Amino acid sequence: CDDKLDISNPNRQTTSDFWQTQSQAMAGCNAIYATLIIDGTYTRMTPALSDGRGDDVTGDSPWPDLVQVSNFTIPTTSGPVQWIWADYYRLIWRANQVLENTVDIEMDEALKNRIIGQAYFLRGLAFFKLANFYKIVPLVLATPKTPDDYYPTTATEEELWNQIYSDFQQAKDLLPDSYANVTGPDAGQIGRATKGAATGMLGKSYLYRKEWQKAADQFKELIDGGLYSLVDDYRDNFTDGNENNSESLFEVQFADPSQVGGTVMNWGGDPAANWKQASAQACTYSMDGRGYSDFLPTQWIYNEYKLEQTTDGKSDPRLLATIASYEPDDNSTKVYGDAWPYASDKIYPRKYTNDGKAGYVNEYDLNSGINYRVLRYADILLMYAEALNELKQTAAAYPYIQQVRDRANLPDLATTKPNMTQDEMRDQIAHERALEFAIEGQRINDIIRWGWFYDADKLAALKAHDADFNLWSAGNEYLPIPQGELDVNKKLSPNPAN
Amino acid sequence: YNGTLAQRKSMKNIYVTVHVQNRPIKDVFHEIEKATGLHFAYNNINLKATDSLSVTADKKDLATLLGEIAGKTDLRFRRINDNIHVTRVEESKEATPPVEEVTQRTVTGQVTSSDDQSPMPGVNIVVKGTTVGTVTDADGAYTIDIPNDDAILVYSFIGYQTLEATVGTQSTLNISLKADITALDEIVVIGYGSQKRSDLTGAVAIVSSNEIRKYATNDIAQLLQGRAAGVAVTSDGQPGAFPSVRIRGIGTFGDAEPLYVIDGVPIGTTPRDFNPNDVESIQVLKDASAGAVYGSRAANGVVIITTKQGKKDQPLRVEYNAYYGIDKVWQHMPVTNRVQYQMLNNESQLNGGGTMAPGNDPTSPLFIDDIDTDWQKVGLETGVRQDHNLNFSGGSKTSTYNLSLDYLNNQGTFVGNGPSFDRYAIRVNSTTEKGIFKIGESLYYTHSHENALTNSAAFLNGNRPPLINDLLMAIPTMPLYDPNREGGYGGTSSNIERAIVINIPGLNSLVKNYTDVDRIFANVYTETKLLNKNGHRINYKLNLSYDKTFARDFFFQPVLDLGFFFQSAIPRLDEATRMYTTGLVENTITYQKNFGRHGIDFLAGQMYQSGSTVVQGGHTESLTSPYYPVLDNGSNKSASGASYRNTLSSFLGRLNYNYDDRYLLTATIRRDGSSRFAPSNRYGNFPSVAVAWKLHNEKIFQLPSFIYELKARVSYGELGNQSIGDYLYAATINPNLSYNYSGQKVTGSTQTALVDPNIKWESKVTSNAGLDISFFNGKIDFTVEYYRNKTKDVLVGVPIPASTGSNGNPVVNAGSLQNTGFEFTVGYHKKTGDFTFDISANAYTLKNKVLSLGGFDEPVYGVGSKTQVGSSIGQHFGYDVEGIFQTQDEITGHAFQNAGTSPGDLKFRDQLTVDTNGDGVPDAADNVINAEDRVYLGRALPNFYYGANFSAGYKNFDLTIFMSGSTGNVINNWTYRLLMHTTDYMNYHEDALNRWTPTNTNTDVPRLVTGDPNNNGGDNNRKDWLQDGTYLRINTLSLGYKLKDNLVKGLTNSRVYITCQNLYTFQKYKGYNPDFTTGVWNPGFDAGSYPKPRTIMVGVQIGF
Repeated sequence: CDDKLDISNPNRQTTSDFWQTQSQAMAGCNAIYATLIIDGTYTRMTPALSDGRGDDVTGDSPWPDLVQVSNFTIPTTSGPVQWIWADYYRLIWRANQVLENTVDIEMDEALKNRIIGQAYFLRGLAFFKLANFYKIVPLVLATPKTPDDYYPTTATEEELWNQIYSDFQQAKDLLPDSYANVTGPDAGQIGRATKGAATGMLGKSYLYRKEWQKAADQFKELIDGGLYSLVDDYRDNFTDGNENNSESLFEVQFADPSQVGGTVMNWGGDPAANWKQASAQACTYSMDGRGYSDFLPTQWIYNEYKLEQTTDGKSDPRLLATIASYEPDDNSTKVYGDAWPYASDKIYPRKYTNDGKAGYVNEYDLNSGINYRVLRYADILLMYAEALNELKQTAAAYPYIQQVRDRANLPDLATTKPNMTQDEMRDQIAHERALEFAIEGQRINDIIRWGWFYDADKLAALKAHDADFNLWSAGNEYLPIPQGELDVNKKLSPNPAN
Repeated sequence: YNGTLAQRKSMKNIYVTVHVQNRPIKDVFHEIEKATGLHFAYNNINLKATDSLSVTADKKDLATLLGEIAGKTDLRFRRINDNIHVTRVEESKEATPPVEEVTQRTVTGQVTSSDDQSPMPGVNIVVKGTTVGTVTDADGAYTIDIPNDDAILVYSFIGYQTLEATVGTQSTLNISLKADITALDEIVVIGYGSQKRSDLTGAVAIVSSNEIRKYATNDIAQLLQGRAAGVAVTSDGQPGAFPSVRIRGIGTFGDAEPLYVIDGVPIGTTPRDFNPNDVESIQVLKDASAGAVYGSRAANGVVIITTKQGKKDQPLRVEYNAYYGIDKVWQHMPVTNRVQYQMLNNESQLNGGGTMAPGNDPTSPLFIDDIDTDWQKVGLETGVRQDHNLNFSGGSKTSTYNLSLDYLNNQGTFVGNGPSFDRYAIRVNSTTEKGIFKIGESLYYTHSHENALTNSAAFLNGNRPPLINDLLMAIPTMPLYDPNREGGYGGTSSNIERAIVINIPGLNSLVKNYTDVDRIFANVYTETKLLNKNGHRINYKLNLSYDKTFARDFFFQPVLDLGFFFQSAIPRLDEATRMYTTGLVENTITYQKNFGRHGIDFLAGQMYQSGSTVVQGGHTESLTSPYYPVLDNGSNKSASGASYRNTLSSFLGRLNYNYDDRYLLTATIRRDGSSRFAPSNRYGNFPSVAVAWKLHNEKIFQLPSFIYELKARVSYGELGNQSIGDYLYAATINPNLSYNYSGQKVTGSTQTALVDPNIKWESKVTSNAGLDISFFNGKIDFTVEYYRNKTKDVLVGVPIPASTGSNGNPVVNAGSLQNTGFEFTVGYHKKTGDFTFDISANAYTLKNKVLSLGGFDEPVYGVGSKTQVGSSIGQHFGYDVEGIFQTQDEITGHAFQNAGTSPGDLKFRDQLTVDTNGDGVPDAADNVINAEDRVYLGRALPNFYYGANFSAGYKNFDLTIFMSGSTGNVINNWTYRLLMHTTDYMNYHEDALNRWTPTNTNTDVPRLVTGDPNNNGGDNNRKDWLQDGTYLRINTLSLGYKLKDNLVKGLTNSRVYITCQNLYTFQKYKGYNPDFTTGVWNPGFDAGSYPKPRTIMVGVQIGF
């Protein structure tokens, strides 16, 4: 009868005979990427819980969490806060599996390096996001072997960032500039992490930690490399029309089901073959009657765009790429092809929605295929300018800022505001970043790293920009460590937001 | 004289003349014999020589003469026909008249058992009111003299119902005695055999089959509710939903459902598909002694269901049973109307710094003042339930058959497509025997159609169900109909009402969602009497069974627009099939022998069971209108599927030993091997032993005579649980992680879930002590039991940190828990006279304690609950409310709660969480309210359960009242909490009208403020958040009338009745069902169970 008790799983391969071949290593690598398109990462909550906290965006949702995250009162038991945590750690486990198991596989060495490089990049990205969301988190650098390994301790901020540098550095060392000319199963595949992506993220990580020279070095390398350039039309960065363009260092690949199939929304749970690869951001952000309208741009950011006119006397073109607003003067009187149905002073997000796409009526079926731009060249330019300014090379910063302004057709800053002091330049860069990156999840991280929450004047300004900041209390600029996680893992430390 | 004449005459009319002086009495008798032709019978007594006397009588009547003789002697005379029986007075215990005269004749007949028509030797037969009696011989035959046609014969036999028969003019009287089912010698079906009730050593609850037939239910499990001590049945009122059954508490964190055994076959799935009308009896095996024969599957208890069989030597009997009834939701939730809703909602928005929704803002052109929908009124309707059952049964000398046809229809109480449940069932049971062989089978086929409530995450964003909550939460300003929306039903919009609420009648009408189930359950067995010689009996039994369930799930959602959140431009069709198969082969052999005072009954067996599940599904979208919802149509199609298999291979041995019907011993061992565990952990042994002492049969002392039976018993043993998914010990690669590179789809593979390869059996050690006592010939019976169950190596997915990256928690052998309790069952039976009644009641206590939780024994948190070592599962957990802040000063003076805390908000208690003197005991508060301040808020599980059944009969009328309930717990009422929200655009409970406002400060309901900055809505012990779970439900009130036999020619045992089920529930709980079903980690959390309707029905039971 013993024979009859030996039943192997007819549905799936067991782990014991996996990680043997090149194609399995490749599949393992793809699996890490798949973690980028679930609820806690880029499908919805990473953009939502980043944007909400900025002064460019406020919550307008019947879902309390999305309002509470915007006004810094989100409870420790919030579902979305937990999903972000869990989903980035899913990515980390999958990356760790590749890092541990690919090394011993006999396969094409160059491909092996590319796979390992991508695993480092994606793990670095996950820790980078966790560090920004939660400030202090555990470093999980190996797959759990025994139940004891399930319970990591919280790393210090320094350990965490050192690991982020290390992961991006490793990725940079191992990754190619592009996959256009590699040989192997990944030949020609666009959307994989590249050396440029790793270099940019490494620089950004240094910048976030005020390692100005190290950051500047990375940005300089990219700028001198000449691989990247700004696209002419700013909105090409936020639609599915011109994805993976010359400005893009790394973007998360979403796709409409008509392209890649799928019938069940890719929220999360154990991945299934019928999952879609769609972004929920469009539906979450889109205006009343077209989507859930969970977030609104603040009046402040709208006004900020109106501060300067283009060289030919028009509105900053980034305004209407970012915000849906009734602007007859700028020929903007429609939403999703229909006449503007709202009060003329009502504003909604437009960035990352399908508003204007031919035939798109609304977002309710959650099929948006718009890629999420994680890092674009405009950011490299503005970060380089910032690093130069912090290194007291304020004058040298002007041309890099101006490259970004030129695309928006704004006048030469060297003419309109020559000879700014370092402080003035800081504020200028903050202004430029706000306009260039509104509703791109950047603002909260900038505000935090610039220390504005703990600068009375700046805090007052933030409160003026967005009433949400009135409810902020010290530490709550971060998301709290999920209560469930603290409950289960006694070795874990709370963070200032708990 | 005329002898014939004398024989006809009374002794008063027979005159004799006798003159004797000092003669032996025999001579006197002789003289009288000569004078009358009557005969004196005195063989039994010694007429002494001293018995001489003188008699002088001249035409004296014989009665007077014998009276005078009796006065002079100690003799007594009893004339029967032409005999005069003579006895001595001291031999007769009772005072006999000196002279008695009866006319008698002889009646003959045979007594048989109504069970199998076998002759019954030893049956006592007495002429009622006399001492005249006899017993039946080996063939059940008897002969008895009766005094006259009015004589009543009383037939009695232990274990059978006593029967009285009027002789009338008959000279032959054949009697069939019915087994007395409440008597001690009732045969109880246990695993792999049966036993006399009085010989039971383990804890077995027997559910009275008479009473359960009076309860109309869709499923077998509900028959158990309130009927047996230690058995808790919780359910909600949704037709087709199978209840949850817990025997002796929650013994595991994992699957706690008992094992169901139907006609000897352990079924792998729930018995949802089985027809309760087929049930003959139900037994519940509660302890290890009773359950150990089912080893690895018995830890949660075993429910043994036996279906009806035909009877031997019975001509075809046809029975038709039917009822028709209406269901109505009798509980009404007091929710606010339009004006109240708008007022409360505006207040909440303005308090939170928001703006009024235009639809609620009287100054807005969009203000709604012409809609005031009462959603309970438009969403709930009167349901219907009916059942028609035709039963044909009978048998010959060597065979029996029983065939039943059944149709059940239950239309639920929601407006729209569901829920409803229809079932068609056919059962054929038969047996045949010849010589040493017996074969039998039971075949069952059923088809059911269930319209469940709509439940699709594909477009119901935010995981909406249970929909009963949605019905209550719907705002009164949403219209029921709106011709401008696709589908024609009303909805909300984000710029008018801003409400994410759903039109439930609309949803339930537009979306089709049903499950069809076909199930075939076939069981065939053969029995061979291998040996029956010199008292040795060896029987061999082969049992084969095959159980196949085929389910088809259909879901179709057309293009619809139910407003704001609930609209879809893409029609979706999902069609799935699920196939469950269980095959079983069992070989058992029994050996029985009685020698002297010893009795042995030995069982050995070998079993092999194999189960498989295959699921397949198809999906298609964008079908065009008019819709033809089949998978061929539409686009973006996808298919899914998986298959699972498991096997169980077992050996079994059981010994029953009986010494002198005084001392009983049962020893059992089962060895199971399961494919669900790695080879090293595959086998488990499950032993048990039990002893019982029948004190009433004890010879060294004599119990008082009013004690009819007294039995003490104890048992100890180990049971197992392997109720987990298949293949869980081996980590697998998920090959379905899809991504794309610039729109080119790729798939990834990796391990996405952690597993524990070392999982093994969950085992449960149980100890049981019981006392069965009955008084006054069984009129009153009483059973008390105490048990202690300790489960260890509990199989469950204990939460692990999300930082592992695992999808789901690995199933591990985590922790252990203990359940202890007392169980009481009492019955009082009055069975004679015009007025009969039967009262039975049961009650039990339950104490649950978690002994360890595996890992680092970290507590496990559920919804508002915490499970920790040392206390019971899922106790309520949250913040302790001290009151409501009335002033800003109070807030400033209190521990910090939140930046937005204002007067009208809850004041939470700042617990002692800081240890200032280092003694390990917190002695100071930290002056801030955070997660550390959460504390135990109450018991989630009831600790006392009770049920009582009263049934009475008066002549042709019968009445039944059945009640059950429980107490000792509080319930986290999610439905109520949703309606007492402060943030959302949803309807309110009327209690919210009493919220704190600057002018209404004397209240315990906090202010309404959108965003809820103070977390007033969180888990806490604010009054009404946790509600008393005590209840007593009148489950059944039934009045029946037995129709006269032969009212129509051939009519027998027929009855009409009217029944009200779920008549009323005495409860303080503000939700629907205090006996809701729920999850393991938060047993006190009622997410919103479907209301149990009140049913009023009429029924008939007709037999020919």
